[in-house]
Amino acid sequence: MAQSGKGRLNYRCPSCFMRDLDIDMFYDKEKDEFYCIRCQYTGNEKDVLEKNEMARFRYRDMCKRYELDDFEKFDD
Amino acid sequence: MDKMILNLIHRPEMVPEYAEKITGRGKAEDIGRKSLLTESLDIFKTQQRLAHENGLKTTIQMTYSSLFNEEAVRLAKEHHKQYGDEIALTLLGLPCKEFREKYKTKDFCIWMFSLEDKKTIVRDVFEKFHECFGFYPESTGSYFMDAELINYIKETYPTVKCAVATCWEEGPKAYHTCNNSWYTFLDGGPWAPWIPSKANSHAPAANAAEDSGIVAIPHLSRDLIACYDGNGSNFGTHPQNVLRGMIYRDGEYPYLYNLIDQFRYQAKFNNGYSYNMMFVGPGWMNKMGRWEAPYELLYKAYSDGCAYYGQLKKEGKLADMTMSEFADYYRMKKNYTEPECALWRDILYGSKKQVFWYCDPYIRACVNMDEGGAVVDLRPYVAKIDWPVGIGTKHVQNASYPFLIQEKYRAGYFTHYAGEGTVRSAKMVHNGEQVDLCLCRTKAHFTQEGKCRILTLDPVEIEFSDLTVKLQTVITFEEGSSRIRFDRRIIEMSDPNAEVSIDEYMVACYGTTEYPEDMTPLTLELAKDDVKTKLAFAYKCREQSMDGADYTACILPPIDTRVSLTCQGREKTGYFKEGYAFSPMFTLGYTGKLKNGEVFTTWLNLEKAD
Repeated sequence: MAQSGKGRLNYRCPSCFMRDLDIDMFYDKEKDEFYCIRCQYTGNEKDVLEKNEMARFRYRDMCKRYELDDFEKFDD
Repeated sequence: MDKMILNLIHRPEMVPEYAEKITGRGKAEDIGRKSLLTESLDIFKTQQRLAHENGLKTTIQMTYSSLFNEEAVRLAKEHHKQYGDEIALTLLGLPCKEFREKYKTKDFCIWMFSLEDKKTIVRDVFEKFHECFGFYPESTGSYFMDAELINYIKETYPTVKCAVATCWEEGPKAYHTCNNSWYTFLDGGPWAPWIPSKANSHAPAANAAEDSGIVAIPHLSRDLIACYDGNGSNFGTHPQNVLRGMIYRDGEYPYLYNLIDQFRYQAKFNNGYSYNMMFVGPGWMNKMGRWEAPYELLYKAYSDGCAYYGQLKKEGKLADMTMSEFADYYRMKKNYTEPECALWRDILYGSKKQVFWYCDPYIRACVNMDEGGAVVDLRPYVAKIDWPVGIGTKHVQNASYPFLIQEKYRAGYFTHYAGEGTVRSAKMVHNGEQVDLCLCRTKAHFTQEGKCRILTLDPVEIEFSDLTVKLQTVITFEEGSSRIRFDRRIIEMSDPNAEVSIDEYMVACYGTTEYPEDMTPLTLELAKDDVKTKLAFAYKCREQSMDGADYTACILPPIDTRVSLTCQGREKTGYFKEGYAFSPMFTLGYTGKLKNGEVFTTWLNLEKAD
């Protein structure tokens, strides 16, 4: 088995990201999977992208644009 | 409202942090690699182009390595002449072949070197700069600049009047985010420009005698809720940091613009003044992409960031300044004791949470309206704590300014089953029932009357089984007083003749990290007239009270601080509580009585212990 490397992009572990940890994952080309050396997450690129989207659950206002007058409005 | 001031800074970092590890995948380390140097300079050129295309001038902070690169020096001279960019000098970007050969170390954070090495390096880079440009710089900086470093630079190179001197709330949280491998422990500083004191660079100078001679600016303008709660490096005026936080969808990131605009909004609380700083190191725009963000998105984000600032400038809402221009502006605009205030709301998570940050030469505090106006962070700037950092000191890496209260590192209101966390709040008590104001979510309104900045909180309703109490909190920060006043007024009761008890309290300790410190040097005090009682902290869970006490206090020699509560209220009784091993805190408080229409007033006072 050859050593692992990096994939096309340098994906972080989505599971660690959700606990505020930025950890590079490594890529096992024989299994076509990324894996985390900090936790037990493994997944292919599709799964990583899905989990990254899941990580955004907390950003409820991520797509909202505030106007200057909005910063002290709380009744919406 | 004045125009928001922008400092846009670029550095030609010939060996960018991160880039060597990323571009050099699978190769042995070689920081002199030609491809790395070429790419680094290309990124700097791109950043400069994007700024200039949007009508913005920059401060070019030359790195040590770039001073050995003829093209980088030539570009700086050209851009100074053509666009009015300032040529400055950063103490970031030290790593390069020349530095490593000369200093025989891979250390690169200037504040972590020994004082002797700091001086040698400063002389080396400043003289090299002079050799390249024929003058000494007016601006410098690093992620952090300690007091001894600033004092030495100002003494040796008096032309320097501005410096990047801290990353706001970059401490244990950043360390953890980097899997405990990023040693920037810089918590506890100001989030907006300030004049550092000679004694401690985090703490603003109170007068000319304390003035270090420079104006300090923070490294980025950071989200005052998100950064305090989570990884600071995701939530600042750094477009690629926003990508790092994955705060975008379909290549759009309105959060970045909301963040900039909320800083513009702060003019309302600061006599018309507001400020932003953007400083993206070239490692964040390397061609290999940064984590899951491809180069195209990194480029777009920086381009969009510059475009938004450029648009604000065109609309007359923003003034771009170089760092040295800003230093002159700041000294004209502000006096020593004028505080920096920020009434800040959550703009990302949809919680509607609101906090208020206050910073002056005596106090830095955070009031959390989601906890009824509790003080959830408190730094005793009045102490101007002597805290040398770097090799050869007690604090090789830890440059954080100590806290008395820090709700994330010391629990705050909620603890697990036992013990207490640090917070300054109040409890209402009636017939054996008790309600802490930390559970009464509310919002605040800011007013300024003379030298007082006043937070008036929307009244909250406290429901006991047989009584409902409507209570209003007013928190007053009097400029230069080194104290915070809390007024609790009952404005309505379901039984107008009822009486309730109030317990104004502060649970505190000291520290810079999540981990407890030795509390045995602390002394608790209660006093009334000539009667004074003292207790040496010994983790014995002891309590004392005194009817009509003049004050209740704690002296904390490790951080050279004396904190006390004083009170004006009916049937007041002062008390203190010693903590115990599982709860290494102390509590200061006052109890008293309140009827409809009455006010109970307490002051939290901070002094230098000696």
